[in-house]
Amino acid sequence: MPANITRINELNSSFFKDFIEIGKKIFSEDMLHSVESCVQCGCCTGSCPSSRRTAFRTRKLFREMLLGFRDSVLEGDDLWLCTTCYTCYERCPRGVKTTDIIRVLRNMAVSQGHMAEAHRMTASYVLRTGHGVPVSEEVQKLREELGLSSLPPTTHSYPEALRAVQEILKLTGFDRIVGFDWKTMELRGRK
Amino acid sequence: MTNIGIYICHCGTNIAGMIDVEELARKAAKLKDVSVVKDYRYLCSDPGQDLIKEDIRSMDLDRVVVAACSPRMHESTYRKVLSEAGINPFLLEIANIREQASWVHSEKEKTTEKAFDLVRIAVAKVKKDESLESLPADVIQRVLVIGAGIAGIQTSLDIANIGYEVVLVEKEQSIGGRMSQLGKTFPTLDCSACILTPRMVEVSTNPKIRLHTYSEVEEISGFIGNFHAKIRKKSRGLNPDLCTGCGECTARCPTKVPGEYDEGMGKRKAIYTLFPQAVPNVPVIDRANCVYITKGKCGICKKVCPAGAIDYELGDEIVEEEVGAVVVASGFDPFDPTSKEELGYGRYKNVITGLQLERLLHTAGPTKGEVIRPSDGAVPKRIAFVQCVGSRDEHANKYCSRVCCMHAIKNALLIKEHHPDAEIFIYYIDIRAFGKGYEEFYKRTQEHGIKFMRGRVAEIFEENNGNVVVRADDTLLGMVMENEVDMAVLSVGMVPRSDSAKIQKLLGIATGSDGFFMEAHAKLRPVETLVDGVFLAGTAQGPKDIPDTVAQAKGAASSALGVISHKVLELSPLISEVDERLCRGCGDCKDICEYGAIELITLDSRNAARINPALCKGCGACTVACCNGSIKLRNFTDTATFAMLEAVLGGEA
Repeated sequence: MPANITRINELNSSFFKDFIEIGKKIFSEDMLHSVESCVQCGCCTGSCPSSRRTAFRTRKLFREMLLGFRDSVLEGDDLWLCTTCYTCYERCPRGVKTTDIIRVLRNMAVSQGHMAEAHRMTASYVLRTGHGVPVSEEVQKLREELGLSSLPPTTHSYPEALRAVQEILKLTGFDRIVGFDWKTMELRGRK
Repeated sequence: MTNIGIYICHCGTNIAGMIDVEELARKAAKLKDVSVVKDYRYLCSDPGQDLIKEDIRSMDLDRVVVAACSPRMHESTYRKVLSEAGINPFLLEIANIREQASWVHSEKEKTTEKAFDLVRIAVAKVKKDESLESLPADVIQRVLVIGAGIAGIQTSLDIANIGYEVVLVEKEQSIGGRMSQLGKTFPTLDCSACILTPRMVEVSTNPKIRLHTYSEVEEISGFIGNFHAKIRKKSRGLNPDLCTGCGECTARCPTKVPGEYDEGMGKRKAIYTLFPQAVPNVPVIDRANCVYITKGKCGICKKVCPAGAIDYELGDEIVEEEVGAVVVASGFDPFDPTSKEELGYGRYKNVITGLQLERLLHTAGPTKGEVIRPSDGAVPKRIAFVQCVGSRDEHANKYCSRVCCMHAIKNALLIKEHHPDAEIFIYYIDIRAFGKGYEEFYKRTQEHGIKFMRGRVAEIFEENNGNVVVRADDTLLGMVMENEVDMAVLSVGMVPRSDSAKIQKLLGIATGSDGFFMEAHAKLRPVETLVDGVFLAGTAQGPKDIPDTVAQAKGAASSALGVISHKVLELSPLISEVDERLCRGCGDCKDICEYGAIELITLDSRNAARINPALCKGCGACTVACCNGSIKLRNFTDTATFAMLEAVLGGEA
């Protein structure tokens, strides 16, 4: 068979089953199965803020997923280009729970060791500070001008709360998944 | 002394926007013999009509010219106005100043001039018009229905239940048609037999329906209200009156041949019924395959028949029926996909048609509802449906067959419900789920995990294990993909029946470029044909699903009743007339007449033409063909034509 023809039989037929098994720990099965109703109309892609700046095509991601293109879906960059804004989720005429489905796919990708670098960076902030977006010096200044305390009453102000968050992240294995080194407080093997 | 009234319609701004109606009225008033000219905003409205009526009565008008829209729109309206006001309705002329003037020109002054020309032509003609009376014709208050599928059944029941007699002719040995071949029906999944057989029984027990099965209409003559049909009742090789339908003959018959009713998926005997609920439940001997008839041996069925009904020598019978209207409900054939060589039908055993799958899925079918593949009898677990086979295709049929999407979706769902682990793919160009509840049904199928593949299947080839590989471009991903499946099902569309040309000739009805019988108007006259008194129902007119077929069948019943519920029909007197004293009997008029309205009669030992007023459409072709002017078209005489020419070429109107 020429290399540029895909044999559907050789695609990963258990991909969708695995997706349901993993996804149902978080969402209802009905929500997960909703993707089977996709008619490929492209309303998701048309609504997507990311699609206006990147090559990300939500429609295509779902098509590949349903046909069993496991590797390209889980190992590719597209999965991480969704901003999780939920616009497509709101607009899908077929009621596909788009963004939640993407989140399950991301979980599957991460458990196989695939995670976008930017997302690892964000995760490292959580591990380090308890915030995905830590309060910067500029924000601190702004808060003072507004008559607020320079730091909010969160892990930034309560070191014992930060330790509790970090404990949870260790117990859930989040640190391992992300590849966080507690000695250097940095990500391991940054690309 | 004529006394003409002219009425000019503004038609809102449709006419008055491009024609100076006041100027037109001023000019028209000066025409000879015109007593009154009036213009009005909407002449077809009630007050507009009253205006004309009042003038006719108070001013003693004897002829009327209406300058308005096309006579196709309102000629009958104004004829009625004249009648109601007490003058002959044929002393009316319409000057079409809308379609032939205001709508098609852009200079007001010139358009007004042209409108005046049209008005004075009409005035010239109306002066030559003669009073005519409609011709009464007796109506035979019965209907002939050709074809007893669901369309013919529904039409017959509707007419019979109103109280009129129906002659229902079915070519096959049982009524029921294509619908009886189906297992479950979309989108409700109710079983076809469960909803069809009660109607079949109703047909057989209704005293108003005279049923001729295993019969064909061979000849139809006559015209609206008076058709005469010759029907051949083919010999079943047995006496149906004696047969009790016990089935002993079929059970003992030693001959087995592929069954047409099962689309070749199963075998039948040489004496057989189509299906258990057949109406009538009387078998037929297949003369081509019966060993007794072909070789003179066997004769088992005759020996075992407890009723002594078998009679190998029984011949056909000709029955004649008189009816007032005809409904054609002759159905369709499935497209034969053999010609689409790239799909391998006929070459690869595991490529079958949708109707063949339907027979496999039918609980009374050859496999009792179990889907197995032809090559080895294995249960296919991976199936591809191939949509639009022979449809939407310049090389086969240009049209969409409308039912194949839902048919494939329905059968995919049924298989998936039987075998949840089956993998089913539906290759499509567009999914057309247009009917009530269809889109919802489509979504339900998707939820069962059936995969919809957007891309027309380009090619199918066979593997050594009997599996077939379906190749198509997945146009959603832009990737050419191959799919090895256990079986491929070709969703073939509907085509006109192979014998439809025969029916077309029989009745003189038209077919469209797709070969289906053509309705008189695509939107407003969907069940009428251009032949008066002949109506269409169901897939004979074009591809349809069951709901649409039933709806049209009910429409055809209503239209046929519109004809035969009258004892007498009023025929238009605007027809040709032969002056038999002048006619030489050459027959040129008979040859040119499209409607078969002219026959040659013997008159004082010479030939002369005679017009059948019920068949004549008043086209005038015969008047032109006539070599010595002995045929006249009423109110369209040469005298009138010359008067009109004179009027417009500047002579006195």
